[in-house]
Amino acid sequence: MALRIQFENNNEIGVFAKLTTAYCLVGIGGSQNFYSVFEGELGETIPVVHASLAGCRIIGRMCVGNRHGLLVPNSTFDTELQHIRNALPDTVKVQRVEERLSALGNVIACNDYVALVHPDLDRETEEIIADTLKVEVFRQTIASNVLVGSYCVLSNQGGLVHPNTSIVDLEELSSLLQVPLVAGTVNRGSEVVGAGLVVNDWSAFAGMDTTSTELTVIESIFRLNEATPSNITSDMRASLIESMS
Amino acid sequence: MAMSEMLRQRLNEKYARDSYYPSTPRTHNLTEEGPVLSERKLAVYGLILSLLVVAVKVFSIYRDDIERTVFEQKLISYETLSEDGRIMYQYTWKTAVKYSHFWLPLLCGILSSYFTWIMVYLDSNVPGVQPPSPFSPKKYKEQSVTNKMESTNVFSENFQKLIGNSVRSVLLENSSEKDEPSPATNDWSSENENLSCSYCRVKFPDAQNQREHYKLDWHRYNLKQSLLSKPPVTEDEFGEKTGKDDLSSISGSDSEKEDTLDTYATAQGKIFLQNDSGQEEISDKDIFARLTQCCITNKQWTVLMLGGGHFAGAVFKGNEPILHKTFHCYTVRAGQGGSQSSRDSKSAGSQPKSAGASLRRYNEQALVQHVKTVVDAWKPEMDKSALIIYRASGPYNRSVLFGGASPLLDRSDKRLRTIPFSTRRATFTEVKRVESVLATADVYKSLKEATQHFCKQKSPDAEAKRNKIRSSCINRAKSRETVERPLPGALSSASSVESGLEGDNTHQEPSFTFTNEELDMDASLREFEDSLTPEQRSKRAPRKKQQRKSKTKKLKEKEDARKRDLIDALCKGDLDKLKKLLENHLKTFEEGETERNAKQCFVNEVLEENGNTLLHVAALNEHEEVLEFLLDNEADPCVKNKNQQTAYSCTQSKGIREALKQFARDNPDKYNYNKAQIPTNALTTEETAEKKKAQRKVKREKEKEKKKENWVKKQEEDEKSRFLQLSDREKRALAAERRILSQSGTVMARCFLCATDISGKVPFEYLGNRFCTIDCLKAHRMQNPIVLS
Repeated sequence: MALRIQFENNNEIGVFAKLTTAYCLVGIGGSQNFYSVFEGELGETIPVVHASLAGCRIIGRMCVGNRHGLLVPNSTFDTELQHIRNALPDTVKVQRVEERLSALGNVIACNDYVALVHPDLDRETEEIIADTLKVEVFRQTIASNVLVGSYCVLSNQGGLVHPNTSIVDLEELSSLLQVPLVAGTVNRGSEVVGAGLVVNDWSAFAGMDTTSTELTVIESIFRLNEATPSNITSDMRASLIESMS
Repeated sequence: MAMSEMLRQRLNEKYARDSYYPSTPRTHNLTEEGPVLSERKLAVYGLILSLLVVAVKVFSIYRDDIERTVFEQKLISYETLSEDGRIMYQYTWKTAVKYSHFWLPLLCGILSSYFTWIMVYLDSNVPGVQPPSPFSPKKYKEQSVTNKMESTNVFSENFQKLIGNSVRSVLLENSSEKDEPSPATNDWSSENENLSCSYCRVKFPDAQNQREHYKLDWHRYNLKQSLLSKPPVTEDEFGEKTGKDDLSSISGSDSEKEDTLDTYATAQGKIFLQNDSGQEEISDKDIFARLTQCCITNKQWTVLMLGGGHFAGAVFKGNEPILHKTFHCYTVRAGQGGSQSSRDSKSAGSQPKSAGASLRRYNEQALVQHVKTVVDAWKPEMDKSALIIYRASGPYNRSVLFGGASPLLDRSDKRLRTIPFSTRRATFTEVKRVESVLATADVYKSLKEATQHFCKQKSPDAEAKRNKIRSSCINRAKSRETVERPLPGALSSASSVESGLEGDNTHQEPSFTFTNEELDMDASLREFEDSLTPEQRSKRAPRKKQQRKSKTKKLKEKEDARKRDLIDALCKGDLDKLKKLLENHLKTFEEGETERNAKQCFVNEVLEENGNTLLHVAALNEHEEVLEFLLDNEADPCVKNKNQQTAYSCTQSKGIREALKQFARDNPDKYNYNKAQIPTNALTTEETAEKKKAQRKVKREKEKEKKKENWVKKQEEDEKSRFLQLSDREKRALAAERRILSQSGTVMARCFLCATDISGKVPFEYLGNRFCTIDCLKAHRMQNPIVLS
């Protein structure tokens, strides 16, 4: 199920949060509301961590990660890095990246298996992405935009891309990424989907402005109705028990 | 086509910043071109000219003599036989004067025209290039010829013939690559289950191949191409490209690639076309169809210019304006610039209410109205015209043409064009200029020539760099480089003489102190105050020698020898010799004078150039006995040398000074010792010793006292540390003990933290702990936090 939330009256929640299947990073806000929503929704399954990067709250745009790892920009302070390392599970590798395009969240979009990156990204960064996040890296643009991280949201179930993406591109991309894609908007027509939406395999959070139509699209493409963690466990348990009996 | 046009528009906007008038000559960046004549050459010519002038002057002065000699040798005269058979000499000169009414004006004319040309030459932007001089190398002349390449008007028959049946656009740099417009990506679609890349237009048999493809540089390059709205390259082309130039062009920013010759040319609103016969021409309009449409079938163009409250518009038929209108409204804020409306929109709340502001606001409205009426009146003609070329910079000006409820011009009108180069103020002449520039096609014989032409215009910097070495065209805006020049002869020689002298001095008086030496040099340098070159000085030297041969000189030589003797004796401290010399001197003296006078005369003699007397020399060489001897023999210690030093002050030696002081003490009234700079009230050695003793005594006593104090302090410190080491309980106990003791008299109370004495004061207290200040209390509390609950 997708939730609508706000960060201090701001609908661009993708800017202030990073959600993956293994952890959730939340920017340090003035009030506890934003964090509480994540905590309430995810707290039982994955760690929800308050974090800042280089003293900024816009962690969603600064870092990129999946269940294998997390990449943070070079400007991250040592203390922040240490805090993140302490808070995240040991299986998640946290790595600092020396990259000219330091807003990694804007230039990289990834799920647990593939990543789309800005065409101008360094080769070394590309290698680090492949090694740390254990993904296949493709240089691509989305609707003639180089900021793939801003205009694309990916999970292992599906993806939402910039509304101007042509059908051909969409099909190509989905054949490349091996997930279904849909062109859509969030936050009542905002085309910057990366900023308005954070997803993982069983949950999604969108800006407060997101219309119910948009939410429906999001829920259907990310298959949120079928797979909540509890669903999985109950389904699986049922099938397990069935097979055992 | 639409895409290339878009690109052109973009480039136009980009290059509009460095405003550029192709038609005006001075804007070419040719300033750094080297001049043909270097300044050295010019100087040589000037020299020759001045020599000529000198020669002429000389001739005019000695004309008679020269004429006579020449005449005698019959060089400028010829003989004629007069009627009566005598030989007459006819002067050619006279004939020349006779015809002076003819050749004098001619000469004046030539000279004045030469002067004018020189002025133009030197004042021109690039001497020797614009305009080329007769001495200019061929290439400059050639360039100025190529600058005037064949131009035709696009409306003329000639142009029609030129373009013939078809033209194609070419690029200057890689002529092999054709700028074919790429079909829109939407048109392209693949069937093969989207195992394809639409950027590179390739299909893949399986997903693996597709994935591999997306990691290639080729794909990345095509991605960038698509971002720049350029057609994709095939794999082979890409291979060639990367083979040719390094990979750097693929990665990173593409800004360095932007500045190609083509973009440069396009920035001037030029496109390059090639006709069937292989001739190329540069015209200002796009493709053939449109070319024929707007240049041949319909020759009517409309040009509208709007900016800064000026409006100028005209409808041209061919090259003739059939309609035109120009007017100006006061809308631009004079001091600050910018239109009133933009100012108003900037400060939303407070719009200026000045008379000028309201005037401008009114005028802006009026301008819109005016333009509307004008354009409405021209509507039929404008509808007929093939092109509408306009200039409206800024949102305000554009809104005049395109804004409002019923816009004057339709933005989507196919005939609309912006002016692809910078223009001046909107006037009728400017409109005509714009039209003529746009309707001009330059014809080049070959592609190479065109490239060359644009290379010349484009890379003046590179050429300038090459020329810089031999360029003597001074850029006066820059500070000049400082040139290391050799010292002029006189000075350097003087310095060399100086050093020589210095050597001499030190040789003669090896024990001179440093300061004295310097001063000596100064004095001796006065001789060289006239700045003579060594040659001149050497010339003078023999003359001096000659003079020395005179009798007085001989006498002087003798004197010098005697003086040298004396100095020698003084330097060595040879008392016997000195005595002998004195006796000799006394002997030679006349009987009439008293001995004392004679002695004075001898002893107070000035020996050296810097006014040192015997006493000075003795003092400088620190011979006490000699000094005493001299003093006994009436030497005057008051005499000063040229540095205003007495014998006492010229030396630092303690012995000499003591001797002089002693002398002063012994003969207190003989001389004015103030004048001699000898301190008379100074203490003797015994007295000083006594004084020192007393001082030492006082010092010792002081030290003793200090020691005592230190000891007391240390005791106190020990007490404090001992107290601090106690626990608070012990402290309290101690305090209690003391209190009990205090009832009998001496009470001590100490701060629990810093242990200062607080007896008699009101202590700061918490939990029974006492402190001298609130700070101490605080610190103590911080050290021992009280755990509540």
